[in-house]
Amino acid sequence: MVNEQNLEQGNGELIEIPAGTAWPIILAFGAMLCFASLVTSIGVGLVGALLTGCGIVGWFKQVFPHEHHAFVPVVRRRFVPASSRRTVAHIQVSEVHRAYLPVESYPMVAGLRGGIAGGIVMIFPALLYGYLTQHSIWYAVNLLGGAGVAHWTNPSTADIAAFHWNGLIVATVIHAAVCSLIGLLYGAMLPMWPKRPILLGGLIAPLLWTGLLHSILGFVNPAFNARIAWGWFALSEILFGIVAGIVVTRTGKIRTHQALPFVLRMGIEAKEFNPPKGNQP
Amino acid sequence: MSDYSLPNPGTIEAVVSDEPRGTLLETLHEWVITVDHKRLGILYILYSTFFLLVAGAEALFIRIQLAFPHNHFLSAQVYNRFFTMHGTTMVFLVGMPFLFGFGNYVVPLQIGARDMAFPRLNAFSFWLTAFGGLLLYYSFLGGGGLYGVGNAPDVGWFAYAPLTARSFSPGHATDYWALALIVSGFGTFGTAINIIATVVSMRCKGMTLMRMPLFTWLMLVVSMLTLVTITPLTAAQFMLLIDRYLGGHFFDTQAGGSSLIWIHFFWIFGHPEVYVLVLPAFAIANEIIPVFSRKAIFGYPAMVAASVGIMFVSLSVWAHHMFTVGMTSTSNAFFTLSTMLVGVPTGIKIFNWIATLWGGRIRFTTPMLFCIGFLFQFLIAGLTGIMLSVSPWDWQLHNSYFVIAHFHYVLVGAVVFCIFAALYFWYPKATGRLMNETLGKWHFWLFLIGFHITFDTMHFLGLLGMPRSIYTYQPDRGWNFLNLVVSLGGMVQGVAVLIFAYNFIASLFQGEIAGDDPWDAWTLEWTTSSPPPVYNFEEPPEVHSRRPLWDLKHPDDPDWEYEA
Repeated sequence: MVNEQNLEQGNGELIEIPAGTAWPIILAFGAMLCFASLVTSIGVGLVGALLTGCGIVGWFKQVFPHEHHAFVPVVRRRFVPASSRRTVAHIQVSEVHRAYLPVESYPMVAGLRGGIAGGIVMIFPALLYGYLTQHSIWYAVNLLGGAGVAHWTNPSTADIAAFHWNGLIVATVIHAAVCSLIGLLYGAMLPMWPKRPILLGGLIAPLLWTGLLHSILGFVNPAFNARIAWGWFALSEILFGIVAGIVVTRTGKIRTHQALPFVLRMGIEAKEFNPPKGNQP
Repeated sequence: MSDYSLPNPGTIEAVVSDEPRGTLLETLHEWVITVDHKRLGILYILYSTFFLLVAGAEALFIRIQLAFPHNHFLSAQVYNRFFTMHGTTMVFLVGMPFLFGFGNYVVPLQIGARDMAFPRLNAFSFWLTAFGGLLLYYSFLGGGGLYGVGNAPDVGWFAYAPLTARSFSPGHATDYWALALIVSGFGTFGTAINIIATVVSMRCKGMTLMRMPLFTWLMLVVSMLTLVTITPLTAAQFMLLIDRYLGGHFFDTQAGGSSLIWIHFFWIFGHPEVYVLVLPAFAIANEIIPVFSRKAIFGYPAMVAASVGIMFVSLSVWAHHMFTVGMTSTSNAFFTLSTMLVGVPTGIKIFNWIATLWGGRIRFTTPMLFCIGFLFQFLIAGLTGIMLSVSPWDWQLHNSYFVIAHFHYVLVGAVVFCIFAALYFWYPKATGRLMNETLGKWHFWLFLIGFHITFDTMHFLGLLGMPRSIYTYQPDRGWNFLNLVVSLGGMVQGVAVLIFAYNFIASLFQGEIAGDDPWDAWTLEWTTSSPPPVYNFEEPPEVHSRRPLWDLKHPDDPDWEYEA
């Protein structure tokens, strides 16, 4: 490394870099001592203040009026790019590959519509269940919404059967959000069941889901589990699945990006499908 | 694995420096006054490595104490100090400096810059961080204060109020904790500003944002997140000092204050801090996994979007640490859902890493092994995180060893594994020599086995009801055997780290010459010499794709033909 004074005497090419300086470490040490003085002694603080002052002045002199630089002679070298692999493999794309993926799908909005329609329909068996067993349509509502009303500690059956604004609002939010999301998922998954989509999506999937919940809810929330009538629950789920399935399947299909080569959709290279883009050197 | 050789042949030139070496004093002086980002990066890493050994030793002392019931290896007071210092050290003196060290070293090289945007601020930031750490450990000597009570902080790394009030924590130990974090926090702040400025304003020609290496992208995200999160912590430390010395009542529940305010301030910092630590780990994996899978990263735009998404979502999850303080049901529901939401962008990342591995010609080098370990462990950590985000589950297990196991799965299983991966990966660039692969694999396997013995078992201790922060336990609680197993696992990890430390030092003198590009990699840092000259590049580089070195190596099939 050479100094600025030696610049003119330097032979060869020089590169300008910031000059090394001790002022940052002095300033940092001074600042630390200032803080440390709060729990040590005033003497430590005075030394810290002195170092801080010196550090600030010294640092200013480093950059004002001109920033200090050092000049480093360049050592020219030749970088030889080398790779142990000279051959590049591209992912091969064929039409056979496409056979396993849906080339057409329902638009997202179809799933949303299906979820909303299914969600509306499944309300009725739930309300009917509440009315028949507890003589209150709010029973099922509060069973769902009560999960968000934490101040209900061990509510009685009468509590759950009564009307509660909190329960209604929370139940509505949960029901709307979950039905919409399930609807979207349903719309996305239907093309994967090319045969009997209503049977698979509307009957078998809800039954599997009900079975899964039935098997784990006893561990997750025993109190909730004790109040659920699984037959009615399964009926609601099946109704949801059938209605959502009908709404989705009645919507026209659109071609998806699946029709495009995998390499294009996933941003992986594929020379034969992708015209040159970007800056070319 | 058979059709490649390491180091990558063709780029190795004899590294013989004809510059005369200075005396020890001259060398020390050069390092002390340096403003070079590479040297500062190395200083950060050496500093963190030192404190990693210190914090590791503290952890081993903790585990020896807990290995048997009614053990008297450590007193209750010393135990409290050790777990406080272990946590504080690992987060503030190991995790963050390590990751900012890599950021310092690698980011300017990856974007083709000669140095950071503010080299002097860079040096100042490092030294502030370093002196902050020294101030914290000086508390062992000076923490007795006026009353001679306590000689190191013993309030836990989260230092909940009102335990930190002078009535409950007399002496100066807690003050040292607060002051040290203030000092090192300013250093962190400076580095974050510097990285943002560097990435925004010093990229070489052709390096658009969407051509930046993912490591650099994530360091940018981390730095922005750091700016937001360090601020409330520093403010809270000042408020604590005002409470303790100027008669303030911010956290004094007897005088109108609220201890909950501290918890909010701390976790508004504390939870995003987890992402400040783990996003650089992701960044490291983003570099290493593609290189050793011999494939470009899968879904680059999705990875960028997921990283930015994590940054935003992570700012809205802090109160999941507070489910047991008695929040409203609305708050519980909000923080449960927002915490679960983090699983979406992190899930995208996991899938993309797996998709990168899928179909690749994987080379199981030591850095790659650590990254594969990280993938598996981070997945488990994410799943237990989702479990703890469910407030009723958290009510059962809060402050139990299940939580300890969960966050060690994140901080060791993900962050420390990736730090080791990065050390093996960039060591040849910084020193010109490769670390010994055989020792590296011994390190990996022992550390992996020790990690799982320790932290898998710890989950069960939590499920059996063992609370955190207890210095001993009754022999009839059913925890004896599992605690012994956990402690033995800790010893195995200790042995693995000692192997690493030996390898780290020995390879400096005896390691195989690495060459410029030992891993056959693709980013700009591998185009310059190992170690790089002080000016990084003789000519400012120009890039045309995300993998500029690939373009040079494969001019017949360059990346810019495919990138949108």
